[in-house]
Amino acid sequence: MNDARLNVEQVEADVLCIGGGPAGLCAAIRASEQGAKVVVIDKSHTLRSGDAGMGNDHFMCHIPDVQGELPGFFNKIGKMSQAVTKTFWENAYDLVKLWDSWGIPMKYEGRYEFAGHSIPGYPNFMLHFSGQNTKVKLTKQAKKAGAKIINRVMILDLIHDNGTIAGAIGFDVRNPKLLVFKTKAVILATGKCMRLFPQNTGSLFNTSTSPVNTGDGRAMAYRAGCELTDMELNDRWSGPKYFARNGRGSWTGVFRDPNGIQIDPGNEMPAHFYPELHENYQKSGRGPLYMDLSDISDEDYEYMKHFLIHEANTPILDFFKEEGVDPREHPFEFMTYGLITPGGINYNEKCETPLAGLFAAGDEFMSFYIAGAAVFGSIAGESAAAFAAQAKPLDEKRAQIPVVTAKELLESVLNRTDGATWQEANNAIQQVMADYCGLIRSETLLTAGLEHLRRLKKKVPQVLMAQNQHELMRCVEVLNLFDIGEITFVAARERKETRQYHRRTDFPFENPIIGAQTLAVKKENGQPVPKWIMKA
Amino acid sequence: MPAVIDKEKCNACGVCVKICPTDVYYGSKPKEIPVVMYPEECWHCNACVHDCPQDAIHLRIALNMQLVYKS
Ligand SMILES: Cc1cc2nc3c(=O)[nH]c(=O)nc-3n(C[C@H](O)[C@H](O)[C@H](O)COP(=O)(O)OP(=O)(O)OC[C@H]3O[C@@H](n4cnc5c(N)ncnc54)[C@H](O)[C@@H]3O)c2cc1C
Ligand code: SF4
Ligand code: SF4
Repeated sequence: MNDARLNVEQVEADVLCIGGGPAGLCAAIRASEQGAKVVVIDKSHTLRSGDAGMGNDHFMCHIPDVQGELPGFFNKIGKMSQAVTKTFWENAYDLVKLWDSWGIPMKYEGRYEFAGHSIPGYPNFMLHFSGQNTKVKLTKQAKKAGAKIINRVMILDLIHDNGTIAGAIGFDVRNPKLLVFKTKAVILATGKCMRLFPQNTGSLFNTSTSPVNTGDGRAMAYRAGCELTDMELNDRWSGPKYFARNGRGSWTGVFRDPNGIQIDPGNEMPAHFYPELHENYQKSGRGPLYMDLSDISDEDYEYMKHFLIHEANTPILDFFKEEGVDPREHPFEFMTYGLITPGGINYNEKCETPLAGLFAAGDEFMSFYIAGAAVFGSIAGESAAAFAAQAKPLDEKRAQIPVVTAKELLESVLNRTDGATWQEANNAIQQVMADYCGLIRSETLLTAGLEHLRRLKKKVPQVLMAQNQHELMRCVEVLNLFDIGEITFVAARERKETRQYHRRTDFPFENPIIGAQTLAVKKENGQPVPKWIMKA
Repeated sequence: MPAVIDKEKCNACGVCVKICPTDVYYGSKPKEIPVVMYPEECWHCNACVHDCPQDAIHLRIALNMQLVYKS
């Protein structure tokens, strides 16, 4: 037994932004501009944390002078409500102009340039920008606006006060400290949920998007009583083989089979819209499929490299350099990565959630990626500041501040010297997710898998051990994954149809009647309960 | 070790320790050459390589992450 003790500290503010990605930082900037006292918390460091840490190069938006009118189809893009989609297209260009004024280069050689991820027959809506230092600029802007940034703190759970969310509890991931944040409004902006499903890349941290985003926001919202939606509608991506990294729309070559024959996935859509192409070729024995850059001109190659650098793909380019290999002469393989979780907190066009005082933005529900993080981060900041302006301060006596339970849990994990490492527990959840709730789903598989997951879930908090605050963070991430995993199982069992990558062998067809509804999961009496709701 | 620090070049400024998103350098002491404590948690994001003012960090791509190309 060790004898670790966590000291408790308190922080007060009007608005708490949980997560300092583009969503959390844009929220902090806007809320500060509205006069709110804002604190941003990040479990890494906002300069380079999250999915945008080393850059993005595509920003979805509509610039009428460049693209003309957008076809009606665009109002259906994204998986959230129509009001959210409409709000997104109406606001994205304003954020482009703002970001440009903050020193994020949104123009290429003096002009707005739309390229990459294009769909034949439609205007391109992906603005090519040079975003390698986006996080550095947004951090600077947030500080300038007056927001306080606290790095290396992981938020664990939310605080309730008389039916509203009025703060959160977290811990320092470098020093033995527990922090209680007493605020009037809270914005969740913790990004995606990785590390739930194996990515077929040989290690837990070899993931196409940030491996430290483990659905913490989704998990704490769920535990606080907020519903999560579309959790069973998982997705897949493709990218360079073995070096999992987003950026497939920026590799501008073509795919060829081992005989050099160009692969056309059946119509004119670019092959990266078919992430499973690579896996299917592999399975059929006709693979592998190669990204072939041999037809690219020198000028186009330099253009591609410029944007790959801004898309955080520098290590891949450096790999070729160090191997002494020119990727234009040596086609390299792509692969299909594992399942991911786009669904989550289905916030509305004002970034409100079903819980008063709780707002969400960005990839808490994956829809418009970095541009969505910018637009809805800003809107969340505005909504939360307005809410905070009329809210009463937290009532110490009435509020449920789970200091004792949090302290007990964290200290028990820190003081255990015999037990399971976070890696062991993380592998256990990935295994059950892949085998029982993965690409083959059925009533019998889901039932057996959920039973096993629940057995594990009970044991995990009793056996997890951490040698220090860093490992404690990883342990808490895995605990969150167990909540998200259970919710995914419950939703997958309820959706008795096949849709996208939710493939039920016992219900092999898509049911158009179900298509008008969304599946939500909410905690009732301590258990996740599924509920169908009409799409907004 | 994915991130390899050249001890000759490093001036112990602490930038890499400050910014690493996965805290691979956890436990490093101020004004000392950083330790690569959790190499298996390196995301290979390149942030430390990019931001190191001394050009002292090299990213060795882990064997299970090496790209597969045609000779
Ligand atoms: C390599 C790569 C390339 C990409 N390219 C593009 C592109 O070109 N175009 C595009 O639109 N999108 C792209 N994306 C996706 C885009 O980066 C994300 O959609 C965007 O960053 C989402 O912003 P966010 O603020 O919601 O989440 P993030 O940027 O991921 O930020 C989440 C933050 O929350 C923090 N956090 C998480 N949990 C906690 C917790 N419990 N407590 C405290 N802090 C926490 C994290 O440390 C992180 O800083 C790319 C992603 C990657 C990885
Ligand atoms: S950033 Fe570079 S110089 Fe500074 S401590 Fe790290 S390795 Fe040394
Ligand atoms: S490459 Fe990224 S994850 Fe790896 S040590 Fe450097 S900053 Fe950390």
